[in-house]
Amino acid sequence: MAHNVYLPSLARIIEVKEEVGGARPIKTFRTQFVSQNDFSFRCGQCAMLSVFGKGESMISISSSPLVKDYLQFSILKMGRVTSALHEMQVGDIIGVRGPYGNGFPMEQWKGKNIIFVGGGIGLAPIWSVLNTALARKEEFGDLMLIYGARTSKDLVFKQELEELRQKMAVHLSIDVGEPGWKEFVGFVPQNVTDKKPSPKNAISITCGPPIMIKFVIKALKDLGFEDAQIYTTVENKMKCGIGKCGRCNIGLHYVCKDGPVYSWAELKKLPQEY
Amino acid sequence: MMEKILGKKSLPQWIRKLSSYKIYAPAKEGELWNFKVIDRPESVELDFSQTALSPKKIIFPQREVLLEFNSNENEVEVRQILSDEKPSVIFGVRPCDARALTLTDKVFGGDFEDPYYWKRRKATALVGLACTPPPSENCFCLSVDGSPYSKDGLDILMTDLGDRYFLESLTEKGNELIKAGRELFQEPKASDKKEAEKIWAESAKKIKRQVKELKKIPAKLKGMFESPFWDEESLSCIRCGICTYLCPTCHCFDINDEIVSSSPLKGERVRTWDNCQFPDFTMHSSGHNPRPDRASRLRQRIFHKFQYFVERYQNFQCTGCGRCVSKCPVRIDIIEVLDKVRDYGS
Repeated sequence: MAHNVYLPSLARIIEVKEEVGGARPIKTFRTQFVSQNDFSFRCGQCAMLSVFGKGESMISISSSPLVKDYLQFSILKMGRVTSALHEMQVGDIIGVRGPYGNGFPMEQWKGKNIIFVGGGIGLAPIWSVLNTALARKEEFGDLMLIYGARTSKDLVFKQELEELRQKMAVHLSIDVGEPGWKEFVGFVPQNVTDKKPSPKNAISITCGPPIMIKFVIKALKDLGFEDAQIYTTVENKMKCGIGKCGRCNIGLHYVCKDGPVYSWAELKKLPQEY
Repeated sequence: MMEKILGKKSLPQWIRKLSSYKIYAPAKEGELWNFKVIDRPESVELDFSQTALSPKKIIFPQREVLLEFNSNENEVEVRQILSDEKPSVIFGVRPCDARALTLTDKVFGGDFEDPYYWKRRKATALVGLACTPPPSENCFCLSVDGSPYSKDGLDILMTDLGDRYFLESLTEKGNELIKAGRELFQEPKASDKKEAEKIWAESAKKIKRQVKELKKIPAKLKGMFESPFWDEESLSCIRCGICTYLCPTCHCFDINDEIVSSSPLKGERVRTWDNCQFPDFTMHSSGHNPRPDRASRLRQRIFHKFQYFVERYQNFQCTGCGRCVSKCPVRIDIIEVLDKVRDYGS
């Protein structure tokens, strides 16, 4: 019989990094499969993670597919499964099945400038694309990251962001000013308007809270971006990950299988029910 | 196609010949008929009208264990619960309920085949019973491309001719069942088939309910997503979910871990039916809910069956069994809702 689509592969946590503390904590986990596994994925795809005894949760893969040693997941503590994940330590075993979803059509972006726009934990799905584009820099044009969070403490990948400045344009923001903060103060969409990325030969990817995405799209449109140049990802509650359990649909699209990546040209045609 | 005649008195003998199969047939419990495993062939009576639940529950049970897991220290062991399925025969399947399985086949098939569904589906033969007369006052199969004698999804269709059944074997699985009791069957006379056809036509005439021009509904719905219509239609819904639990085509499910013992950890991953009419069906762990009210949930139910499914699979996701109409405690009537959709704004 073919592989059981509900059977997760076992993976061991090899690294846990606390990205953000406080009331909305975020941790980054690196995992390795316990036995030989042919798991291969595209940027923007997700995996269904199991904490045995707690259940499953669909999480975007934040490492690049070019990294073969581990899978990385950056996870905001929110529900039953993500709370249990936050309790887990190096050496603990989780289940991984997937990959699921469509992923970003990066092969269509050869030679283009890419503007990444993220808010909070929304940098996780972007991170996979960004690192892939960086590693294959000769295939793409200029890369720019516009990223923000509520406070400087809520920014993820802080150390990596500092290193990233050597390689590409990085523009950070926080919602309200703090002593010592030298970059933009305000919401992410305002920073987009402030930095004025050019739509010429460009693609923009935006991930973050729905309200941020809405206004980032508006800001990009005001700068002259066409709907088909703007990509985003959608989240919905999921159980199966394979288009059967019936809850993550937006219109006839199952986000788990047909998404989570949409161009704004595609997404605006779907019912506004997400 | 193989055609046969079976005397009604020979039905238990035929079932006895099928001893290598697990046999299901409608059995009465209290007021309700439901499919049960049959131990005594002579107890099988096919004079039921409509079973409360469709035979979907045999192929896709309300609760099933997908996996078992054990954990000790830093080690985890996961085992799939996918035992071999004993070949089964379900007697007395109504044509609408057999057609419904051809629709759930589409969902559980495709590029991620569901091994739990298919191990039972492939091991099960469906022996249908033509609806003569229609079993429910809310039958509307003719409106959704079905009929009281539809053969879709069946391995054998039986028609009650009074003292005998007229059988049509439609698949290799059906032929096998007939071969197992070959000495019990007679060759039909030309008049037997004519009699069956006459009974079918009479039965079709007795179907009281219909949705006229249902083919217009998918396109019409497309323009009604934002309509206040859904608020009004859903006002009385008490979100009991019976409409979808009884539906032979609904397939939504939940998956949860159930702990058997906590130290060392031992548990099961369990799939259960779920329901788009429940508020937490789509609720994110953050509390955000894309379908937060009754209107959006009724709209989902109607759109799924008569718009999304049609676009995806070119079939209505409804076979007109009428259970949701008969059993809704607040009389939300899908036939009336569809009539109103068709006429909305005109």
